[in-house]
Amino acid sequence: MKKGKKITTKILGIATIPTVTFIIMIILCAVNGVKLFETTGNWIAFFRAVTSVMLTTFALSINLNSGRFDFSIGSISLLSSIISSTICIKAGLTTPFMLSVSLISGIVLGALSGLVYVLIKLPPIIVSLGIALFYEGLSFAITNGYGVSFVANAELISFPSVAHYLEVIIIALCVIIILFDYTRFGYNYRALLSGQKVSVNMGIKEIPNAIGCYAIAGGLMGIVGFISATNTGNIQMALNFGSIGVMFTAFLPMFIGGFIGRFCNERIGYVLGAVTTALISLMYARLDVDSSVQQIVTALILVGFLIYLNNENKLKVLLIGKRGLHK
Amino acid sequence: MKKVLALMLCFALTIGCLTGCGKAPAGEEAPAEGQNETTEEQEGAQAPENEDPGVELDMSKTVKIGVLVSDSTTAESLAFQSYYKDYIASNYNVELVYSDELTDAAGEKSAIDTFITNNCKAVISFSSFDRMAQLEQCAGAGIYYAVATGTLTDDEYAQVKDNEYYVGAIGPSLEIEFQTGYDMAKYYLDQGKTRFAIFGGAIPYYTEMHIYRAAGMLTAMVEAGGGDYQGASDKDAIIGKLFETASIETGSIGSVEILGYVGGYDMDDAWFAKCGQMAQTEGLEVILAVGNGSDFFGSSIAGTDVKIASVDAYATAYGEAMEGGMLDYLAGKFSASIGPIFIATYSATLGAPIRTEDGCALALSQGYWVATSAEQFNEFYAVDSSTEAPAYTKNMLDTLLGTDYATFEAFVSKYSFEEIQTMQ
Repeated sequence: MKKGKKITTKILGIATIPTVTFIIMIILCAVNGVKLFETTGNWIAFFRAVTSVMLTTFALSINLNSGRFDFSIGSISLLSSIISSTICIKAGLTTPFMLSVSLISGIVLGALSGLVYVLIKLPPIIVSLGIALFYEGLSFAITNGYGVSFVANAELISFPSVAHYLEVIIIALCVIIILFDYTRFGYNYRALLSGQKVSVNMGIKEIPNAIGCYAIAGGLMGIVGFISATNTGNIQMALNFGSIGVMFTAFLPMFIGGFIGRFCNERIGYVLGAVTTALISLMYARLDVDSSVQQIVTALILVGFLIYLNNENKLKVLLIGKRGLHK
Repeated sequence: MKKVLALMLCFALTIGCLTGCGKAPAGEEAPAEGQNETTEEQEGAQAPENEDPGVELDMSKTVKIGVLVSDSTTAESLAFQSYYKDYIASNYNVELVYSDELTDAAGEKSAIDTFITNNCKAVISFSSFDRMAQLEQCAGAGIYYAVATGTLTDDEYAQVKDNEYYVGAIGPSLEIEFQTGYDMAKYYLDQGKTRFAIFGGAIPYYTEMHIYRAAGMLTAMVEAGGGDYQGASDKDAIIGKLFETASIETGSIGSVEILGYVGGYDMDDAWFAKCGQMAQTEGLEVILAVGNGSDFFGSSIAGTDVKIASVDAYATAYGEAMEGGMLDYLAGKFSASIGPIFIATYSATLGAPIRTEDGCALALSQGYWVATSAEQFNEFYAVDSSTEAPAYTKNMLDTLLGTDYATFEAFVSKYSFEEIQTMQ
């Protein structure tokens, strides 16, 4: 009986937020005489948003959970996509090559970022800001400021499809779960999360682990860069921290994922957090919501969710008290 | 004894501070450290009273000119920078000092302060956050100021046209922006196209040039469709409507239909989803963009018959897009269009400012080169991107140094590709 209740609580905890969001979005669209998913393009836009937000959330959370605020992930995404697209355009390579080169470039750039952090030993915020500027500048220098355009390259812009995005979601989720839950690296990572000093005293090497975290985050952002580039067929330059905005797309899904993670694997929580935000994004697009209104609504949802998380216990007491009164 | 020494030291320090903090009156800015050696070089840039257009200009001294940059990443700004860096700077005895990418009026002020400290004798501005404040600051420091690729409003011009330090502005006027949008829409209306979508670029941010281009498109549609746009049926009313809503309503204009509209540059998931669904609207024939269209919609229309028309500059990416069928029409600024304003500014620093017959600052308009095929694009691009023989070569520009207004105005007004080729 108790087990059944536990399973019900888990299912409710996992499914409530995305399901309720989905229902609200459907209702909002229906009220305005629009279908949330009407065309293939809507499905592609939805899955693209889920994929890129999920990967960004993974990348951000890996270091943020360890107390390392990484502002450079957006610039890694930018630079790795520039490297991969430039190579593939010049060599006439296909989309899988571009994805692979993006991934490898991201891993290298991420590892470099981590290496700088452990060598310089400055606070990660400062190091990551410097790295962001450096990678933005490098991107600018490589392309002479013009960015990269392959809008007429039918092969490279053929990637966007529901099936491709689903493949990326499933593979990335499995790899991340295996890496962080079933490998020595993952055990060390979690041990360092729970107590760095004790873990180090026990013989866990925190420096390789930190560099590994940066490398994995970089690899994920390399894929984000690839997804973003193949969506439009061009890569626009960003200077003066213009690439930082990417990381802010991951905060809401990270908080939602953190909440859902109480009932299942945290990474699955992040995926559902990404699904939730992608549903909201699609609703904005379908209802042609003004960007200023979008920002206000997103900020209200974020703040509301944080208020709930911070006052969860008080709310529980309040609810139990009310139930008691009813009895 | 110690007290006396201490007092003497304090006195010496006080005197030192007082002498070091002296400030020259406006227009006689005290040279910063390391500037004395360049002061002599700038003697040619004295007040306009010394001007004598008949006298041959002394170009033996290097003149420093500050360039305010508001954008370092668009094709247009990069093409402009390339023309100044790769052609002008190597053909004239000038040192062009560039600001960082500016994002607000405070940044403009700070950049001009730096130029003044660096002994720049003029500022050419590509940044438009607060042009009046820029001019005031430059005039206060006694250096010349010019607006590149833009124009002041009539009210602003009336306020500053007599300012001796205001060189003027050369760029597409709002009338030209309107006409650019009008011509673009008409090009397709004349082909019998009736189902359009519009990309409004910076219309949500009330950017005038984008509003005027869109108003031109809508006016052409009203004329061709025989209806009205939200109750507005003439140019002024449509412009007013766009300023009122900062958006474009979809719907019918007589027989013409606006099937979709996207504005802004949010670049987030929702915005890209909007772009995608607009480009894939059933029955859509043409996407008219007030700015760059192919970068945002090109991949979405791949393999369809939808046409994209853009306003921007001549960059390789657009040539590839035209060859790939993702761009059908481009109204592009040519990079050398900023040559004449450089000459006017340089001429002023050499003591020969070019003013109207009434002695006012320049206010001249220039338009775009329109390419409607890949071949035409390539022909324009070859000239526009050349660092050996660009559209305006040194020989052509030299004819403007210290010239009279009529000659200057006639030169600037002939801006079409064919006219410029004839001049060469």
